[in-house]
Amino acid sequence: MATSLRLYLTCIRNTLEASLCLQNFPCQEVERHNKPEVEMKTSPELLLNSILICRNEAEKCLIETSINSLRISLKVKQADELENILTKKFLRFLSMRAEAFQVLRRKPVQGYDISFLITNFHCEEMQKRKLIDFIVQFMEDIEKEISELKMSVNTRGRLVATEFLKQFI
Amino acid sequence: MACFDRVSPALREILLKLYRAEKPVEIDHHLYEFGSVEYHVQSSAADPQHNYLSISTPLLSQGALLSYGLSSYTMQMVKQVCSDAVEIVEPAKEGYQLTLKLNFAKVPIGKDSEKVITQISSVQAVILSSQLKEMLRNVNSQDTSQGMNKPIKLVYHPREPFYVIRQPQKITAVFPMRFREHSDVIIATAFFQELMDVGSSEKWAKAPPCTWSPIPPPELRGEPLEDLSTNGGFVCFDISSHHVEGKKLDKTVWSLLNFYAYVKNHVKCTRGFIQRRMQKRLESLVEVLHEEKLQENGNVKKVKAHAESRYGGKLVSLSKPKNFKRRCRDLTRKIMQIRFRIKIHGFRHFRRRWLTIPKFSSPLGYTKLQ
Repeated sequence: MATSLRLYLTCIRNTLEASLCLQNFPCQEVERHNKPEVEMKTSPELLLNSILICRNEAEKCLIETSINSLRISLKVKQADELENILTKKFLRFLSMRAEAFQVLRRKPVQGYDISFLITNFHCEEMQKRKLIDFIVQFMEDIEKEISELKMSVNTRGRLVATEFLKQFI
Repeated sequence: MACFDRVSPALREILLKLYRAEKPVEIDHHLYEFGSVEYHVQSSAADPQHNYLSISTPLLSQGALLSYGLSSYTMQMVKQVCSDAVEIVEPAKEGYQLTLKLNFAKVPIGKDSEKVITQISSVQAVILSSQLKEMLRNVNSQDTSQGMNKPIKLVYHPREPFYVIRQPQKITAVFPMRFREHSDVIIATAFFQELMDVGSSEKWAKAPPCTWSPIPPPELRGEPLEDLSTNGGFVCFDISSHHVEGKKLDKTVWSLLNFYAYVKNHVKCTRGFIQRRMQKRLESLVEVLHEEKLQENGNVKKVKAHAESRYGGKLVSLSKPKNFKRRCRDLTRKIMQIRFRIKIHGFRHFRRRWLTIPKFSSPLGYTKLQ
């Protein structure tokens, strides 16, 4: 793994460890309702300062925290047009199957490619450390997968081009 | 427009059915392929030996060469391909470019029959390729007529026209590429770049040089704007004389005619590949989360079990007399188990009856009356 990526992921891991201290907190506006405050933003006193971690201009991570929920939004590197469509396709594919991930948001926050929403219930159901591991692993895998996909598409293109030119000889 | 397979499968099936029919069949079929190719198969029960196949296929729309219909070269090619069983009817039926009279009695019997019918079914591909063949044949001709350097637009399919430009010592085929979706454009562009890279390598020096550019080549200057507005750029192949020598001519022509289909097929397959790979990746990503959850459930169960035993112990320790009784019972059972390790069915009954010491009654005592 590249040093810059390791540092970036370590920073995100540490920030998540610090900010994932969620507790059950019923809605202050509506009785018998329990909503993620980071989404509703009804009471400013329940929100914490958001943290933006940037690896470079194209790659960043926004962590928004509230008393009972946390939202992580990721922007994945897209060096060229092919990476751009591959990233969009892949993340859209994952977002459409968000129910499989539980913590994945169906629609990313504006300006980001993918978002996760972790509530206190998720933290009660799953181990905090494992959840952080999953997020970091996900980020690593996405980057790896997109570069592998790009390579595969180019390799396929080269093979197909070779086969086409073979017909002339 | 062109397909990888030269034979029309539907036409082949109908002709084979006609050929194999034991009784004369009345057939009047209209077949459409690729939206613009039409076949009309006619057979009457009264005259079973003579069946008619008419073909309507889009021809060069603007070229001066073939504006009046099929050229003599094309007719010659059709005659060469088809056997004695086929006769060209002139003039062709109204609305069609070519009408063929098929005499199945002259079709050789056995395996060759299928071969002949397959050849007849590929007549549209012959017409299609013969037009381009005629142009490419004259690569080296020193013809300096007025048509020189003027692009000829070939509209085999309304959405997929391409240009052929005659230049000294070579012919350039220019393909304006259009795609419906942006993602297709990107995949195709990656393919064109690979095509350029591969074509420019020394290993493929014999292949026609290929160039891709997002803007139209200068040779197309003056063409209508709607023809030059593309989203996939322009792919050019420079065909020189050694690409059209002998048998290579047929291959080159068919490759050029299939270029659109080839690119579109590659784009479609790549999209499928990406989708499959994403599906596979999703499974592995979800697996990580599920494993974590399973582990967690396992931990919770362990914790629960431990807690139950701990609390259970406490509860037992609270009721001491009961516990003492239970322990005594357990001990007795264990002793019994030690004494009679081997259990014989019915032995207990036997022991009670025969091996017990009889009780002697006391003289002072009395016996109970029954």
